[in-house]
Amino acid sequence: MKQTKFWWFLALPQLLLDEQLSLQSLEQQQQPQIICANRGNRGPQVVQANAAAQAAGIQLGMPAVTASTLVPDVHQRPYEREREEAVLRRLAQWLYQDIAHIALYPPQGLLLEVQHLQRLYGGYQGVQRQLQRRLRRLAVQVELAAGYSPLAARILAQAGIACLSTDAQELQNALAQLPLRYSLLPVTQRQQLEDAGIERLGDLLRLAVSELGVRFGRDMVNYVAELRGELCPPQQYFQPPLKFRERLDLLTEATSWQQLVFPLRRLLQQLEAFLQSRQLSVNAFVLLAHHREGAPTRVRVAFALPLWRSRDVQQLVQLQLERQQLSTPALELSLHADDFTERQARTAQWCPTTAADAPSSQQTHALRSLFGKLQARLGEGALQQAQALTDWRPEAAQQWLPRTATQLAGPPAQLPRPLWLLTSAEPIDIAQWQLHWGPERIQSGWWDGQAIDRDYYIALDAQQRQGWVFRSQGAWYLHGWFS
Amino acid sequence: MAGLAEQNWRPVALQCVTNYSFLVGAAHPHEYIERALALHYQALAITDECSMAGVVRAYLAQRSTALQLLIGSYFRIPELGTVILLAQNRQGYAQLCRLITKARSRANKGEYQLYVSDLTTELAHCLALWRPAHERAFDDHWQTLQATFQQRLWLAYARHFAADDAQRFRSYQRYRAVSGLPVVAADEVLYPDPERQPLHDVLTAIRQNKTVADVRADLRPNAEHYLHSAAQLQRSYPQDWLSEAQVIAARCQFSLSELRYQYPAELVPKGHNATSYLRELAYAGAKQRFPQGLRSDVAAKLEKELQLIAELQYEYFFLTIHDIVRFAQQRGILYQGRGSAANSVVCYCLQITAVNPDQIDVLFERFLSKERDEPPDIDVDFEHQRREEVIQYIYQKYGRNRAALAATVIRYRLRSAFRDVGKALGFNEQELGHYLRQIDRRDHETPWYEQLLQLQSGMAATERGRWLITLTEQLLKFPRHLSQHVGGFVIAATELTDLVPIEQASMADRTVIQWDKDDLEALKLIKVDVLALGMLSALRKMLQLVAEHEQRPLDLASIPTEDARVYQMLQRGDSIGVFQIESRAQMNMLPRLRPATFYDLVVQIAIVRPGPIQGDMVHPYLRRRAGAEAVTYPSEEVRQVTERTLGVPIFQEQVIKLAMVAAGFSGGEADQLRRAMANWRSTGELQQFESKLINGMRQRGYSIDFAQRIYQQICGFGEYGFPESHSASFANLAYASAWFKYHYPAIFYCALLNSLPMGFYSADQLLQAAKREHVAVLPLDIQTSQWQHQLVRLQQGLAIRLGFCLVKGLVASAIEALLKQRPTAGFHSLSQLRAAGASPALLQRLAAAGALQQISGDRFQSQWQTLALPAQQLPLFAQLETQAAATANLPRPTEVQDIAADYRVLGASTRRHPLALLRERGLLRGVKRAAELSSCRHQQVVCVAGLVTCRQRPGTASGVTFITLEDETGMVNVVIWQATARSQRQPYLTAKLLKVHGTVEIHGDVIHVIAGRLVDGADLLAQLSLAAPRSRDFH
Repeated sequence: MKQTKFWWFLALPQLLLDEQLSLQSLEQQQQPQIICANRGNRGPQVVQANAAAQAAGIQLGMPAVTASTLVPDVHQRPYEREREEAVLRRLAQWLYQDIAHIALYPPQGLLLEVQHLQRLYGGYQGVQRQLQRRLRRLAVQVELAAGYSPLAARILAQAGIACLSTDAQELQNALAQLPLRYSLLPVTQRQQLEDAGIERLGDLLRLAVSELGVRFGRDMVNYVAELRGELCPPQQYFQPPLKFRERLDLLTEATSWQQLVFPLRRLLQQLEAFLQSRQLSVNAFVLLAHHREGAPTRVRVAFALPLWRSRDVQQLVQLQLERQQLSTPALELSLHADDFTERQARTAQWCPTTAADAPSSQQTHALRSLFGKLQARLGEGALQQAQALTDWRPEAAQQWLPRTATQLAGPPAQLPRPLWLLTSAEPIDIAQWQLHWGPERIQSGWWDGQAIDRDYYIALDAQQRQGWVFRSQGAWYLHGWFS
Repeated sequence: MAGLAEQNWRPVALQCVTNYSFLVGAAHPHEYIERALALHYQALAITDECSMAGVVRAYLAQRSTALQLLIGSYFRIPELGTVILLAQNRQGYAQLCRLITKARSRANKGEYQLYVSDLTTELAHCLALWRPAHERAFDDHWQTLQATFQQRLWLAYARHFAADDAQRFRSYQRYRAVSGLPVVAADEVLYPDPERQPLHDVLTAIRQNKTVADVRADLRPNAEHYLHSAAQLQRSYPQDWLSEAQVIAARCQFSLSELRYQYPAELVPKGHNATSYLRELAYAGAKQRFPQGLRSDVAAKLEKELQLIAELQYEYFFLTIHDIVRFAQQRGILYQGRGSAANSVVCYCLQITAVNPDQIDVLFERFLSKERDEPPDIDVDFEHQRREEVIQYIYQKYGRNRAALAATVIRYRLRSAFRDVGKALGFNEQELGHYLRQIDRRDHETPWYEQLLQLQSGMAATERGRWLITLTEQLLKFPRHLSQHVGGFVIAATELTDLVPIEQASMADRTVIQWDKDDLEALKLIKVDVLALGMLSALRKMLQLVAEHEQRPLDLASIPTEDARVYQMLQRGDSIGVFQIESRAQMNMLPRLRPATFYDLVVQIAIVRPGPIQGDMVHPYLRRRAGAEAVTYPSEEVRQVTERTLGVPIFQEQVIKLAMVAAGFSGGEADQLRRAMANWRSTGELQQFESKLINGMRQRGYSIDFAQRIYQQICGFGEYGFPESHSASFANLAYASAWFKYHYPAIFYCALLNSLPMGFYSADQLLQAAKREHVAVLPLDIQTSQWQHQLVRLQQGLAIRLGFCLVKGLVASAIEALLKQRPTAGFHSLSQLRAAGASPALLQRLAAAGALQQISGDRFQSQWQTLALPAQQLPLFAQLETQAAATANLPRPTEVQDIAADYRVLGASTRRHPLALLRERGLLRGVKRAAELSSCRHQQVVCVAGLVTCRQRPGTASGVTFITLEDETGMVNVVIWQATARSQRQPYLTAKLLKVHGTVEIHGDVIHVIAGRLVDGADLLAQLSLAAPRSRDFH
């Protein structure tokens, strides 16, 4: 047999459940847990189950209803594909330390190109040991199998055949034994083959390719070629997420941030080049001032809006740094950025959406830079935006949200509401007041434990000021001022 | 002076919205009536949104009180605002019903659409109350409305302590000044008392399928939409606006009691009146039914019935049903009437029923009664596959404006209420599912919320948990939407919409009225029940087949009666497929009750029901029947009622009669008892009769034990009231089907298979049974099979040739088109089939079903060849024979592979039973066959195995589950005690093939296996499917 290139496939049959278990105490992990998904129109089925659930008789593919009848206290959670895929990407990132060529097979598989690594780790066994060392720390269920083609490796691993042989013949024999349900072929084709008595991959491999081609077309021919190792489609390898990491030696020790302005400018120019080449803007980054001893001083700089021009960035960074102290002299400065936005993808969500309300682009720009400056000076989170909510309870009729998240709501309902609402109502002596208008009765909020039952009035105090007062359980309170 | 008027003034509510405005109103209609009475209201208007669905319930609560009930409805018209219309009199009510019908007909189910122009026509007898949407709405439309309604229009001002009260007050003053229209004070009432506000908020959330927190914008600001007291109203409104409501009430003089049903008149030919015509039909029928002439007692009975019908004026009812069944007769559709009024000589003579009074004259007691004064009850069952023809006949004969189906009100039950309230409170689906699983709905002793709190004590600790319980409890039994009744038609003399609004049903071409059967009954309106029954379809096919293949023309009435061999078969418990007595429980009862006459079958059908079982009447009856207990009667009265059932009350009628003769119930009370039985689970009404019944019986010298058993039996009937009259009708069909099963098993099974789905058994189970009864079953074959199963005459007798209807996923029309082109000698190649229009997909399906054997070899070869057929149909000249493409590489299917494929594609197999294969392979050593159990010792320890065909946990025998296992020789009944089930949950709940170690219990012909250990046979099945010679499973 000619020199064969080998692939490994890492199948993770219960990745989402493993992630869930990893967040639990040992005791919790012993509780029966399952993940269910809708398959076809037969209602939710068990797709992942932990050891405790399986020990209690729950099987994969079992209707969720049966599972919960069997084990009434089983903990059930719906399957989330996006989440499992995200876990898979994290796993790829983790393995990327050792293995450069990883292809994602979401949501539950990773293809590893291990040929090159033999020398580094002293043969496949070394690679395997290294891999297992990494995986052990994650406590995930894995099935690892080798293959002379990506498809072969994938089928074996997903069938749970833990075979890391380098003997192509042995692998092919193992493949040939597998029932067709592991074939990864589309369901209809698989059924058609089974209806013709082709039950195992071996049966399929025995058939003349030309006859298969006549019946199932080009894709089947390619499939069989891949299964035999005669064809190896190009793989899309995992790219770790983008990062900008630059470090700069300061020629002299700097004792204040102000002294770092010039070196910083260089770093920011490099950042601009990085961003420009990728058509990105940066949302935030971290500056690290490295000292002779001890941990570096970290300053996180975040922007209200993504930026990419170094002079825009620099302006804001300078504002931010003015407030910072440098406790010990710095020898080196580095900049770490990994929070980016694609330039086109951004929409101006922060400003009013209706055309009539929209400020001119100039105003927009001015607002934008004001927000940016305020946020840079006051720090993230200091800038919030009021949002009107429709709730009859005055206390619940608005809320403060971080500025970035909000979208201005429409005008609140036409209700007599004071301009100035007191944070908390103050008891008053109603004898000092003259009721002018009312009552407006508000009884609401039973659902969140903040129920109120009040009769509101507009009333004048001795100074003829218009106040918003209410009566609740026989007592009177002032809740706001109209003027 | 004003002071005096104020003192005498009593409030009038002009807009009360009930929960029949689905998910809007937060009160049952009767709750308003009760509250209004308590607050000394003068009158109250029930006004649902474009609906009359709730008025009958309100009327029932109001009719014997001092409160005046106004009937109306409100409508939201975007450009106007809200308009409330009240019926002044009978015409006004009809106008309102027509308007609702019109508005509903324009929109989808559950919605309506009304325009301003609709209000300007045909509402001359309605009063209109208008809440303008805003000032512009008023300015734009007041002149139009005033011109239309003139002195019948008011502006309806409501004050609910909202922020805009004063502003609107000023607006209304301006409206009045501009138009001169009077203003009336009219609260918008959504619930009877302020405590209902949370429920109303939750309904708003459910309506939008969101949480309460997410619909805050649509909630009312306060709890003011309740029925206010007179004093509260006087503080809120000017007195003259309040007094105006009394003016309105005084002008409404309509009561639902005025509604009178008028029968369709066209059924009576010229020169006849209804009475004379019915008499003529009855006597003409009697001549046919009794060719030897009427016996004097039957003749007297007939005459008495005709008189009673005339007295109560029910002739048209009988004539209507007679007309419908005559249509069915003409079309050759089998039918059978049942119900209390069906038990009459009249119905027998009119051919509505087929139960010969000679056979069981005891039945003809409960017919119509004068004192009950209730509409007669006749249900007619038709063949399920042809009932639609009957329905279309009714629509076509009377027209859609005169005939419609009764509604069924779908109500909140625990599960739906809990889920909907839970979702509105922000609980997630899984939490709610988890909570619901803690509740055992069979436990009637402990209320559901107590069960829940026992297991989930944390729930009561959170406010949200407490709201969930409180609001679910309030929402229970709220109507949720209208659905269509299974077959109850209301037919009117003229326009049905004069009586009740009609709306769209969710099924195309169906319309329903806004009232359900209880509403109809309360107003003494009559419905005709046109129901579907699968067994009638099967029986018609049996009758056709027996004429065709055995040259024996029969109809239901001419099937030989009282055939001892048929009863002997049933006594053995051999009843698969027999109507009503084929269930596991019935099969067990057959050898014990040993029916030998028609009346025994009537008892047999009624005895395996919750009533007799809960009343502990089964064993006394069986003991007396077997002669093990003397037949005695506690009194002469009881003897009269129960003599035919050996002194043990079995039927609903007997129990009610006992309440009268033994507990002193009056006729009216007994009738209330009957009604309460029908729906006591939902209303709990029955308890009020308990002490009356038991005390009444004690006073008359009956034992407390007997009295309590009667009461228990009444409770049992509540769930599935089973009257003797129904049982007799069913027994007729049970006997007929049993007769076919005994004499013509091939015909019997073929007809059943062609009528599926129906009954208890799947096609496979029926085929297994047929084979055990030595009926040959031939496989599907493209050369001979039809869409339906056929009978074929073989040397040894009739055999069943499977039809294509068994193949999952095939379309009848495609197959029938193909079979039309089948040459007499059959098809000769796949390409010929392809040319006849069979698509490759169809041919693949046929190959998978093993139907192409004769053309292209076994199913594997056939499949391989069909796969090679081109997807596009080639022009004729290019049709090359592709036969040669068959490859030598394919193995022949093994028997196991064939059986597995049969089950996958057909759901049944003509080949051997899987258990036979396992046995052949020596995998069932020491396991008894079902047929061998009868030769075992009582209490012998055995092991049995079979496919699980039925898991049943009868509610009455709590703690026990019955599992039926099927092997190649028959069925095994396995009894599993609760402890066994609990300790072996996995095999108990999930096994498809079950091995049971246990002991045999043999009592006469009744054989059970009491389970000890359960073993899931999954590995055996796995071995079977992977036992193909050239492979083994890979691990």
